Amino acid sequence: MAVVENRTIDKQEPFSTVVGDPWARVLAAGAMQGRVLHAIMLREVKSRFGRQKLGFLWAVFEPMALVAVFALLFAMGHETSPSGMPVVPFMITGFAPFILFRSAMTQTMQAIEANRQLLIFSQVTPTDLVLARGLLEVATLTVVFFLLIAGAYALGFETRIENPLQMLFALGCLAMTGCGLGAFFAALIPFVRSIKQFVSIFAGRPLFFISGLFFTFEMLPGNVREILLFNPIMHMIEWLRSAVFIQFESRYASLDYAVGTAIFTLFIGLLMLRGLRRRLLANL
Amino acid sequence: MIALEHVSKSYRVTHGWHRVLNDVTCRFPKGRNVGILGLNGAGKSTLLRLIGGVEPPDSGDIYRSCSVSWPIAFTGAFPPTLTGRENARFVARLYGVPPGQVEAFAEDFAELGEYFDEQVLTYSSGMRARLAFAVSIAVKFDCYLVDEATSVGDWRFTAKCLRAFRDRREESSVIMVSHNQDTVGQTCDMGAVLASGQLTFYEDVKEALSVYSYIRG
Repeated sequence: MAVVENRTIDKQEPFSTVVGDPWARVLAAGAMQGRVLHAIMLREVKSRFGRQKLGFLWAVFEPMALVAVFALLFAMGHETSPSGMPVVPFMITGFAPFILFRSAMTQTMQAIEANRQLLIFSQVTPTDLVLARGLLEVATLTVVFFLLIAGAYALGFETRIENPLQMLFALGCLAMTGCGLGAFFAALIPFVRSIKQFVSIFAGRPLFFISGLFFTFEMLPGNVREILLFNPIMHMIEWLRSAVFIQFESRYASLDYAVGTAIFTLFIGLLMLRGLRRRLLANL
Repeated sequence: MIALEHVSKSYRVTHGWHRVLNDVTCRFPKGRNVGILGLNGAGKSTLLRLIGGVEPPDSGDIYRSCSVSWPIAFTGAFPPTLTGRENARFVARLYGVPPGQVEAFAEDFAELGEYFDEQVLTYSSGMRARLAFAVSIAVKFDCYLVDEATSVGDWRFTAKCLRAFRDRREESSVIMVSHNQDTVGQTCDMGAVLASGQLTFYEDVKEALSVYSYIRG
């Protein structure tokens, strides 16, 4: 008889029980995964942007305005360019990627809490909730980043992207680190409530001032630099700037450290979700 | 057909573990509507969640050879910030059924009127129940898992759902957990009683009902 073993609640195709051909099973599981992520993302779009008119526009406009105001304020105080980079694009390339990282983290962190009712559907796992939210947030803030770059270009600031592929890679690292940390915290929050407060405080001011939004490694005094070299976010931002500006090449940013951190955090985050799945589901 | 083999499930409580199912082995035959009776806290909802694949058992295996609905309960199963219509489309996408079709059926069946386009958080519990039933019937499952069927819904709508299930008897069956003897008696032709971690099946639902009223004292 065609039965599917369901010892662990692996993805199960609800309308056809595929047995035999392993490739057919992999394909069916992939199709199902895509369907679930698609459905959850559409739902997220609806409930986050869909309620007010121009909801999505507002979601894009808000971080854009924040970065633009900061960039212009900073530009007023600093006539000279840091490490040879034009001031406004320098600020954009620090601020916007940082917000991408931070929002990816804080949004995914709350994904399970916000959508726990959806876990009643057997094909929805905690990991799906986190991934759907992360993808949506990263997509939105990538749009924000490109709009800001385009806006700066339109306003006559020098923004020629030297190495677009490397830039995307750096953005990808920030996204992965953000989602990875978010996944890690999302798995722990149901058991340790205070994590949420701790993260929002730490991800607010402190991280903001030590991640190279306003400076490069080169501009720092040696002993401060020694410490901040441990901050992977700063490596990623510096790496991104090296990709954008032809006149800037970071002597300190380590590609290995950035990519290693991104892969490691995402891996650990997903592992935590998987490992605590039983407890997370029992907690409904 | 759905089968459980040596299924156990416990939950962590403040002092140690609470065992809800203790080495349960049973078969839910195809085409039979089964009513599971049990006292409050006997683990009826947990059993339904295991059958529906919401949670894995601690040990043992659960086999399904048909499509099984999510456990249809009445409180907060749907995202409250979405409208009834959006929820119908969401569930349809989740199960890979054309959203327009599910939406149209659910709108007609649920009889929510204008409220179909209001956020679920504005619904009464009876209205939520209607939406949940309408959507699940629209998606079409081989087996419906129903949690405490009539505790909230109004009798006329309950009758409509039971009729819909009966009309589908050829294609679909129902596994219902309840402590309401009337609903079980009307809907089910087979009964089971869940007590102290054990599930006992009775070929005739009347027998299960009399055993249950004996346990209840």
